Amino acid sequence: MSSYDVFTTDVLIVGAGLAGERAAIEAAEHGHSVIILSLVPPRRSHSTAAQGGMQASLANSAKGAGDNPDVHFADTVKGSDWGCDQDVARLFAETAPIAVRQMAHWGVPWNRVTAGKKVLPDGTEIYDDPDKEGLITARNFGGTAKWRTCYVSDGTGHCLQYAMDSVVVKLGITVHDRVEAISLIHDDTRCSGAVVRCLRTGKLRVYLAKSTVIATGGYGRLYGASTNAIINEGSGMFIALNTGIVPLGNMEAVQFHPTGIVPTWILVTEGARGDGGYLLDKNLHRFMPDYEPAKKELASRDVVSRRMTQHIRKGFGVDSPYGAHLWLDIRHLGERHINTNLREIANICRNFAGIDPVHELIPVRPTQHYSMGGVRTDINGMAYGLEGLFAVGEAACWDLHGFNRLGGNSLAETIVAGMIVGKQVAIYTKDASINVSTTLIQEHVREQEERIHNLLNCTNGKENVYEIRREMENTLMENVGIFRTGEALEKAVNKLDELYHRSLHVGLRSNGQGPNPELASALRINGMVKLAYLIAAGALARQESRGSHYREDFPQRDDVNWLKRTLAYWPKGSDKPVLKYEDVKITELPPGDRGYGEGSKQTAGTSEVSK
Amino acid sequence: MGRQLTLHILRYNPDKPEVKPYLQPFKLEEEERMTLFVALNKIREEQDPTLQFDFVCRAAICGSCGMLINGKPTLACKTLTKDLPNEITLMPLPVFQMLGDLSVDTGTWFRELNIKTEAWIKTEKKFDPTALEDRMSNDEALAIYEADRCIECGCCIGGCATANINPDFLGAAGINRVARFMVDPRDERSEAEYFEIVGTGEGVFGCVGLMACDDNCPMEIPLQEQLAYVRRKMALAGIKM
Amino acid sequence: MELQRSTELQKTYVTSSKLELVADIIQLVSGVSLAFFLWTHMVFVGSILLGVSAFNKLAAFMEEYYLLPAAVVFIIIAFTAHVGAVLRRIPGRWRDQKIIWQHAKTIKHGDTWSWLFQVVSGAAILILATIHVFVVVYGGISADLSSDRMHSPFLWFYLALLFLGEYHASIGLYRAAIKWGWIKRQTAKRVLGFATIIFLAIGLVTIGTLWMLGGSL
Ligand SMILES: Cc1cc2nc3c(=O)[nH]c(=O)nc-3n(C[C@H](O)[C@H](O)[C@H](O)COP(=O)(O)OP(=O)(O)OC[C@H]3O[C@@H](n4cnc5c(N)ncnc54)[C@H](O)[C@@H]3O)c2cc1C
Ligand code: HEM
Ligand code: HEM
Ligand code: SF4
Ligand code: F3S
Ligand code: FES
Repeated sequence: MSSYDVFTTDVLIVGAGLAGERAAIEAAEHGHSVIILSLVPPRRSHSTAAQGGMQASLANSAKGAGDNPDVHFADTVKGSDWGCDQDVARLFAETAPIAVRQMAHWGVPWNRVTAGKKVLPDGTEIYDDPDKEGLITARNFGGTAKWRTCYVSDGTGHCLQYAMDSVVVKLGITVHDRVEAISLIHDDTRCSGAVVRCLRTGKLRVYLAKSTVIATGGYGRLYGASTNAIINEGSGMFIALNTGIVPLGNMEAVQFHPTGIVPTWILVTEGARGDGGYLLDKNLHRFMPDYEPAKKELASRDVVSRRMTQHIRKGFGVDSPYGAHLWLDIRHLGERHINTNLREIANICRNFAGIDPVHELIPVRPTQHYSMGGVRTDINGMAYGLEGLFAVGEAACWDLHGFNRLGGNSLAETIVAGMIVGKQVAIYTKDASINVSTTLIQEHVREQEERIHNLLNCTNGKENVYEIRREMENTLMENVGIFRTGEALEKAVNKLDELYHRSLHVGLRSNGQGPNPELASALRINGMVKLAYLIAAGALARQESRGSHYREDFPQRDDVNWLKRTLAYWPKGSDKPVLKYEDVKITELPPGDRGYGEGSKQTAGTSEVSK
Repeated sequence: MGRQLTLHILRYNPDKPEVKPYLQPFKLEEEERMTLFVALNKIREEQDPTLQFDFVCRAAICGSCGMLINGKPTLACKTLTKDLPNEITLMPLPVFQMLGDLSVDTGTWFRELNIKTEAWIKTEKKFDPTALEDRMSNDEALAIYEADRCIECGCCIGGCATANINPDFLGAAGINRVARFMVDPRDERSEAEYFEIVGTGEGVFGCVGLMACDDNCPMEIPLQEQLAYVRRKMALAGIKM
Repeated sequence: MELQRSTELQKTYVTSSKLELVADIIQLVSGVSLAFFLWTHMVFVGSILLGVSAFNKLAAFMEEYYLLPAAVVFIIIAFTAHVGAVLRRIPGRWRDQKIIWQHAKTIKHGDTWSWLFQVVSGAAILILATIHVFVVVYGGISADLSSDRMHSPFLWFYLALLFLGEYHASIGLYRAAIKWGWIKRQTAKRVLGFATIIFLAIGLVTIGTLWMLGGSL
């Protein structure tokens, strides 16, 4: 038995994005010892990439007047297409303003209200109240009744993460970066920490903790075209899934963002449309008002993405070597506005597409963007199935977002949930103890050592990890995208079944010594294919359309049969997932009309209605 | 058919210190709109799976991928191959600890910097969850953001000869970080306190004005102005003290 | 009492940490005044262009009003201060020297090279200008003496001193200006580039005139 380092702590946080760090701060402030693990230095976490903003009903800006947590709550529930837990949404909406103000206290330079008259790009005049001068302002985002999205120019996630990490540094919280949790240590009832691979040396380590928090972000990189960082491979979700006991919730709920730049798929924030950008087709016609007369470009993301795809299918897309796309036009916002408020976008266009958005159109197409699904937890962030295991942030299915997350609600979720779940972790940890046998630890370490050994020596085969990965990406792209059909989904499930079996036979090309990147990928591939399988299987089973999950063969929302959440398990020893369901919690707002989208009576989108 | 590119990549394995760092050539066909992110991943997947480099966001946001590209410290993910000659030399950023090939430990360096400069809002005020936020003018907020945009990529550090000989030098990123807190009305530090942090030979008076930082910052933070601002402010503070 | 002691202690601590600031200001003031000295001096020597008598009158005037010894004293003080302040900047250890040259070669960056040449030119000036000052002070100054000195292999010495001195002064002023943020980099480059050309031209014409005078007299 080889030797390994063992670290012991009260609270182990896997993931140093906004959610992980916020939870860590809360636990540390309650007097617990905390270790944060991260693949990368915390400030490189994907949270820094969020540009647009964070929702909270401060009601300071002119167009935010009259906003309050009730309105925010209703927007969130409608956005989720009634798939969220309403007690969670209520708690969230009530806490978000405190979260934004606390981040201000910690140093986030939120943009502020400047009093006076302003003219919006569409000609409307607004008047910002001098009483509100200097308070935190907000911008418009899709799917919201009020301007509620607080922002820092277009570096909101960056500033939030830097302010958050500055508090982590100040409190002296231990962070181990360049490490990867590869399995959870548990005895089928309690989670006691994780087996971790050091990405500097390639060595295994053991972390023992009274409570373990998964805050590993999304799984965007299962898709070939995603706006996500390349480290967003869902590893936290599949190590939970691999326990065989912890279910993942609503994995079929995958959000596509309307505006990924062709062909790098880097995101152009919703702020570009919020600030008045238009979508144009190949005839330079602004088509969104035809489909969504009320909200136009600012209907919720799932709706805009589908409308765009629909419009492309009708033959209005612009042809390109990378497939048909549409245009985003922000030229009319003016050079000054673009180069200050939308500077990051302008830079991205210039650097990665060679386009100057002050004078040129931006080629865009809907792109995988956000995972509503994740480790299913209760309102306290406790994972189903294992004691001492928590999840928070995009990795979790807390379930605030249901089948569609509103822009600006996920940054808000990471911090709000970080506060709430962090506190629950602290409470739980107070009465918990580390109670784990050496045999159990060794068993878990040995299992991982064996996997590594087999990969290095090609014991089980010589499958190429990069090939499997590419096939998985393509399968999801082609068959589990914006529009879904039973036929395509079945194809996907079959293909993923095959890939799952092949992923068990991966062997390395290189020697796998030290911090070998091929080994790191090979260790993940099986888990990633499992997640892809859950997405496809969940989508195939769900015979309705809800939020971002849109079945062409079942275009209606079906509240009678499907007002419920998918819980996907992967039992030990099984070669298939098992799907179960639970009711969503409805406490205040019964299912109704969202006010936008195909199912809505208020829009003239579908051809019958437009007659 | 695209151009035939040759990438000369510095190879180094800290586990094998007996093997001196060397440049290894890799040949690759250029594709349309190819960035070094795409190129390096292709090499790893098709030619050498042991090649180490760091990318996270691949969108010039996270600061992971700073390296010397034909000598210039910059972000690999936003560098298009079409802007480079056929022969491309890639080396890790100097100054930082080498982790292998193109990968360096900027994370640890910056964490230490943030501890050294106490890079957080220092205030006696307690957060009151029931109160409104403190007011601030939008211009003040924008001025803070201007400095806060630093992504800790290390290009300004890796390009600075001063930082290369003096491991304790805060560098442009460090001095800019302090400037960020100086302009923040929420921070209650006095000028004397700031002087102790940056009014030193490791701080702003260690900078000899090489301006590699100003020329290479991928975020185009006006580092020359920021350094000068801190230098003037600290000179005044020092004279008054 | 106790409190006073601790503030006292703190003061010594703080004062000692002000050393770098003091050195930086000495470097700045000495550098800038040396640069202005050099330029003034170029104009003075350039009086030869107005004729031999103008040059001689100026030299006599300087002698008469003790301006020459004053200049020498100034030069000694300014040089000592400047060299003293600047010495801390010059990579002393062999290891540092190696790193810095290697660094400059690797990153191929204009302003980094110009700084290295600033150090090199500074070291050269230290020797050349010391010799020069000795020679003129002990040899005396007049159109005859000066042009004789020029019409000799000393010519090369003067050409070297001219170029090194001008380069060092201009780059030094550029660096000082951008470090303290008085003007934008591009503007600084343009203004100082222009000044350098003017003073080089004056210097070259002066040297040429003295050289021709030296041949004809
Ligand atoms: C381009 C883009 C723009 C966005 N813009 C907005 C916006 O404007 N508003 C908004 O509300 N939302 C936005 N989002 C969504 C939002 O940014 C994310 O949902 C949110 O930041 C996720 O935060 P997190 O803390 O859950 O995870 P992340 O920030 O992704 O952090 C995950 C952490 O886990 C670590 N990790 C992962 N796996 C492991 C492992 N196995 N072992 C150890 N550590 C691990 C990583 O290193 C990282 O530190 C955007 C998303 C994208 C892709
Ligand atoms: C005619 C004589 C000289 C003039 C006009 C002159 C002028 C200047 C000026 C204006 C500066 C910039 C000061 C600053 O950045 O604060 C400078 C810097 C410098 N000088 Fe000189 N100098 C002279 C002689 C010398 C000598 C004799 C040396 C020899 C060692 C020297 C070495 C340097 C160095 C190394 C610097 C760079 C310091 C730094 O950038 O921090 N100089 N000089
Ligand atoms: C007290 C100090 C100095 C005095 C009195 C002095 C005087 C003179 C005189 C009289 C000449 C004419 C040539 C000759 O007689 O040899 C001359 C030329 C010259 N001196 Fe000096 N000098 C002084 C310091 C310096 C310094 C510090 C430099 C520094 C870089 C310098 C650079 C030159 C150059 C380049 C010339 C050539 C003429 C020209 O290009 O205009 N001198 N000096
Ligand atoms: S100041 Fe610029 S170059 Fe330096 S670390 Fe920050 S972003 Fe990078
Ligand atoms: S490169 Fe270095 S010396 Fe100063 S001007 Fe920039 S920090
Ligand atoms: S990969 Fe994030 S900056 Fe290059």
